[in-house]
Amino acid sequence: MTEQLAQVIDLNKCIGCQTCTVACKRLWTDAQQTAHHWWNIVNTMPGRGTPRGWEEMGGGYVDGELSLGALPTAEQFGEAWDFDFEGARAAASGGPHLAPLDGRPAWGPNWDEDQGGGVYPNAWYFYLPRLCNHCSKPACVEACPAKAIGEQPDGLVVIDEDKCIGNQLCAMACPYKRIYFAEAPRQSRKCIGCFPRVERGVAPACVRQCPGRVRHFGWLDDPDSQVHRLVKVWKVALPLHPEFGTDPQVFYVPPMGPERLDAGGVPDPDSDRINPGYLRSLFGDGVEEALELLRSERRRRMQGEESELMDLLISRRWSDMLGGFDRAPV
Amino acid sequence: MLPPPAPDDGESAFRARYRDRLSADEAVRTTHNLNCWYQQNCCFHVLVRDGQVVREEQVGDYPQTDESLPDFNPRGCQKGCGYSALMYSEARLRSPLKRKGPRGSGEWEEISWEQACGEIAEQLIDILVTDGPGRLVLDPGGNIVSQLAWMSITRLWDRLDGLYLDINCELGDDQQGAAITYGEPSGERSGDDYFHSDLVFIWGGNPAYTQIPNFHFLTEARYNGTTIVAISPDVNASAIHADLHVPVKPGGDAALALGMCKVMIEEEIFDAELVREQTDLPLLVVEETGKLFRESTLDGGSEQVFYRWDEQRDRLEEVDRFSLKLRGQVPALRGSFEVKTDDHGTLTLKPAFELLAERLERWPLEDVSDACGVAPETIRRLARMMAGAKAATNTCTSGLSKYFHGDLLMRAQILAFVLGGHLGSKGAGYVSSHFLLADGVDDGLKALEGYKENMWRLGFTYGWEYHWERMRGMSHREATYHYLHNVYAPSRAMVNSTLFWNLHGGLDQISKRTAEWGEELPRPIDEYLDEALEKRWQVLDPAPDDPPRALLVWMGNPLRRIRSSHKLLEVLWPKLELVVVTDLRMSSTAMHADYVLPVAGAYEKTTTMAMNTGPIAPFLHTTVQAVDPVGDSRDEWAIACLLAKALQDRARERGIVNYIGRRGQKRSLDDIYDDITEGGRLGDDDGEKLSSRMVNRSTNVGNVSWSELKRKGYQRFTSLGNYAANFGNSTWIRKGETISPHRWHRERKDPWATLTGRVQFYVDHDWYLEFGEELPVHKDPPRSGGDLPITLTGGHTRWSIHATWRSDPTMLRLQRGEPSLWMSIPDALDRGIRDGDKVEVSNAIGSFITRARPAACVRPGQAVMYHGWEDYQFEGGVGYRNVLASPLKPLELVGDHPWLKPMVGIRQPGQSDRDTRVEIRSLEPPPVPEEPGPEEPASEGSAP
Repeated sequence: MTEQLAQVIDLNKCIGCQTCTVACKRLWTDAQQTAHHWWNIVNTMPGRGTPRGWEEMGGGYVDGELSLGALPTAEQFGEAWDFDFEGARAAASGGPHLAPLDGRPAWGPNWDEDQGGGVYPNAWYFYLPRLCNHCSKPACVEACPAKAIGEQPDGLVVIDEDKCIGNQLCAMACPYKRIYFAEAPRQSRKCIGCFPRVERGVAPACVRQCPGRVRHFGWLDDPDSQVHRLVKVWKVALPLHPEFGTDPQVFYVPPMGPERLDAGGVPDPDSDRINPGYLRSLFGDGVEEALELLRSERRRRMQGEESELMDLLISRRWSDMLGGFDRAPV
Repeated sequence: MLPPPAPDDGESAFRARYRDRLSADEAVRTTHNLNCWYQQNCCFHVLVRDGQVVREEQVGDYPQTDESLPDFNPRGCQKGCGYSALMYSEARLRSPLKRKGPRGSGEWEEISWEQACGEIAEQLIDILVTDGPGRLVLDPGGNIVSQLAWMSITRLWDRLDGLYLDINCELGDDQQGAAITYGEPSGERSGDDYFHSDLVFIWGGNPAYTQIPNFHFLTEARYNGTTIVAISPDVNASAIHADLHVPVKPGGDAALALGMCKVMIEEEIFDAELVREQTDLPLLVVEETGKLFRESTLDGGSEQVFYRWDEQRDRLEEVDRFSLKLRGQVPALRGSFEVKTDDHGTLTLKPAFELLAERLERWPLEDVSDACGVAPETIRRLARMMAGAKAATNTCTSGLSKYFHGDLLMRAQILAFVLGGHLGSKGAGYVSSHFLLADGVDDGLKALEGYKENMWRLGFTYGWEYHWERMRGMSHREATYHYLHNVYAPSRAMVNSTLFWNLHGGLDQISKRTAEWGEELPRPIDEYLDEALEKRWQVLDPAPDDPPRALLVWMGNPLRRIRSSHKLLEVLWPKLELVVVTDLRMSSTAMHADYVLPVAGAYEKTTTMAMNTGPIAPFLHTTVQAVDPVGDSRDEWAIACLLAKALQDRARERGIVNYIGRRGQKRSLDDIYDDITEGGRLGDDDGEKLSSRMVNRSTNVGNVSWSELKRKGYQRFTSLGNYAANFGNSTWIRKGETISPHRWHRERKDPWATLTGRVQFYVDHDWYLEFGEELPVHKDPPRSGGDLPITLTGGHTRWSIHATWRSDPTMLRLQRGEPSLWMSIPDALDRGIRDGDKVEVSNAIGSFITRARPAACVRPGQAVMYHGWEDYQFEGGVGYRNVLASPLKPLELVGDHPWLKPMVGIRQPGQSDRDTRVEIRSLEPPPVPEEPGPEEPASEGSAP
């Protein structure tokens, strides 16, 4: 049995607060040369995301063959804007106001926050936390000519920066476009799965610092782990864009939206504002079955019956979500 | 501590570099002592390396109340996780600043604390000796909530006898509807109590933004089978987590709630038993006058004895003011009764419920639907859900009190919950405001000079009533509360800030235009204002003709906070000889100050929370110093001491011993420092003692000692304790049990803190009758700012705690770097506005420039400007507050009804902004034809 660490991210619980994003930033990418790196980011879906238009950039495997997609530009990722606080002190008397220096930005990591889709009053959206999927068939690993990227025995995919030659083939190969580039030194960087924490029994920062209790973590093949129960047994946690062919190890519980209003403004109890076709396009064909199971198990709870699935998703004891990686981080 | 890192596998040095980032010299448990309000504090480990905070991490070891319930872990938000970046950011103030150029010019010089405090003291003394302390005004801002911030300035300001603004109603946090209906608006449940609710309304707020650490209780309750209903004009981040989102017209919430009431009454599915026992709705009203039928009308007896009609015995029964027990009575809800009186002949009396039902029956559901924008079928469905639920509740929010008719919206909501049978039990009942404070804060207050003087002055005048009520059977809690009602205005301990800014700051030039915005007033607004001031119903000091001379802004930001604050710069600022601001960062207000004093931040001092703790996450947290203050910033107690010392030294130099206080009493100046420092027992570095004393004297945080509390970081509250602000919760706090407010009213039949002792839906004050607001009613919102097509609403954002973090680069990079205006796609298309375009937002009172952000989630006819942006983040330094007309609502001035008097933070005139009308126009060159309109994702918009 190959050991594999996995995350399950519950989109019914995610509130888009970006605490995971900031926890990651403060721990790993707060230096000047990585200020524009957001190894973890939460995107509002539907939306163009981070980098802008990532879903159409290509990469991954096509018919089993590695496919190099587009290399996202710095502008598509969004720059780390600087601000002139000193200058803004005179904003009330003709000085510049506090705004990104170097002109008006066209994009940022969370640019289309809460804009979503649909037509009012049936507007809809949900939040999709995104990070390196630590794929079992990582395109970035195969694409790297310097053998700088490798998969650890625990399944985490990590770049050895010292071997990185900065040609960015990995970023072209990654279909999720979760690989960033640092100019000095010219190296690719990405989520390291918080390996220094994990190897000491501490859950990754994005998992442990999630106040929405959205993320379950643990060994995918441990029959007692929450991630195993959710992915393998209940099958309500699904990979993102499985057609990219990289076998991602981050799984998502699909969202249940509010009822859709009809032309007279009356909500229909048997409907969902979230377009199922859109969810299928993200999570594959299993999504409808997963949603039906979530709904039927929830109805059981409404009728006062037990539901292991609902109990797992609630996870009354927060530390149970950490899959044994529940040591304090200090 | 962590086990040692895995040995270097020799694979590469990069692993060692990453592992090294985890290392820290020290981890300190602390929290951010800020005004996070409903969100509440969160305990963090702060990691220190080489004397610098490197980052923070949620501790995640809160206890589980009971294993059937989710625990409170981990508690935090992106702001808390990024505080260490804010702490060292460029925005941070590092040394005292003195203005060089004109106010607002941005020209500053760094000066020493000695120079700053010396010069400030000189000016304060000049004012004290000529005009007394009644011209010195303190603005206690939102971030005054720690014991260190609050008690430091309170001790100094009380000793000086300066004016202290009461800003809560101005903020719009006053929950006026609950303050009228429940009497005491505090009353909130613990987050895990949602697990006892089968129906939760998110109505009037957006907790996904404002309650990040608590929101999981809602999503988890949903998995547990609870139905979540969100009622809001926009499809906000909370609404997307609901089962049912009901789009309502902005300000149409009262109509929707009353429509639900109408259906519940007509279908006879309301909880009559609850209404009979807990509310004033069975009380008889004289049909002709609209006044409650009192003993004074019956036979010349008491003004405060009321009656019901007992169906059991078919006769008039006196209402027991001291217990809600019905004792076998079945009070009539419907009907009309003839009663002979001594002096008024035979009167026709009707239960208030009859009047309510008649009104609602006359109002066709189609008209209700027009008023609120919700389909009749949906109103019926919501009414049946409300009546059919076992336990329905709502999420606490401060959104609705920011509407002009916020009182009516909330009164109507409470009515809907009560008719549905939801009040004072596990998981059930409408919650409004939340306070649960460590009651040791009271000791600090009682030690104040002003408190003692007022005790002598007012204790005798009003104290007898307390004893009389106690003798007649009123609880200590309620009698104390009533006493505080009675003494608040006469004590003049606090000044209503809305009236202060209006009448001294020129806001009245705008706010008195109420009638112009389409609001029907029976009489001109000045008549109401003059009467309220003349009768001293509300507190305004100094008198309108005596200009204030100095303003000390303590951890606040009034120019960012106050609606139409641009007027203050025109009218108030020229009157002020001295403006001093203490803050962590350069704020909109600090930019217009004479002196700016830098305050030490959260990890740089030790304290605990004096205010704004509450039941939702029922823990008292500590802020513990981890590193030295940044730059030359000082903690609040040190600053208060420096100011006091400078005052004392200058007074001695100038030979000034005494001055005359506001009540004509003598106050000494030449020993002010010795006095507030208790002769050195509480030295400049002893700010922590303010908190240790408070905690050691608190009875409701268990037996935890101060040192133990600091080590642990938090402690669960163990009871309501003896502090009046907590009383409204009226419930037990027990280990292993969730907190559900108002249980004492249901289970012990304790009366409510209102005129009749009941949940009060009927207000027979003359002004309420004159306005037709004696019962909850829907009124169309005023068009504040002019008859323009777009209603500009607002709300707290996920990105800041008020203005803190608003200008923080980490947070700005996760937004768009500058303020943006949310608007609907149809409104944007009509105006040729594209995503990101520069737009001007304007109305009859002002304008500002921002960038447009069209989105499907915004209701056509609505635009949303989220909260907290600093003026200097807008072009020209002109912020969005200057289109907020905030008309005065005369009924908020009422202060003579026995239980409708101002109290700390409630039942005072306030500001509003959610009814603002604006027009929006593009400032971009006309679009080239082939450019697309606002972004809309392809293929997702249509129905499946």
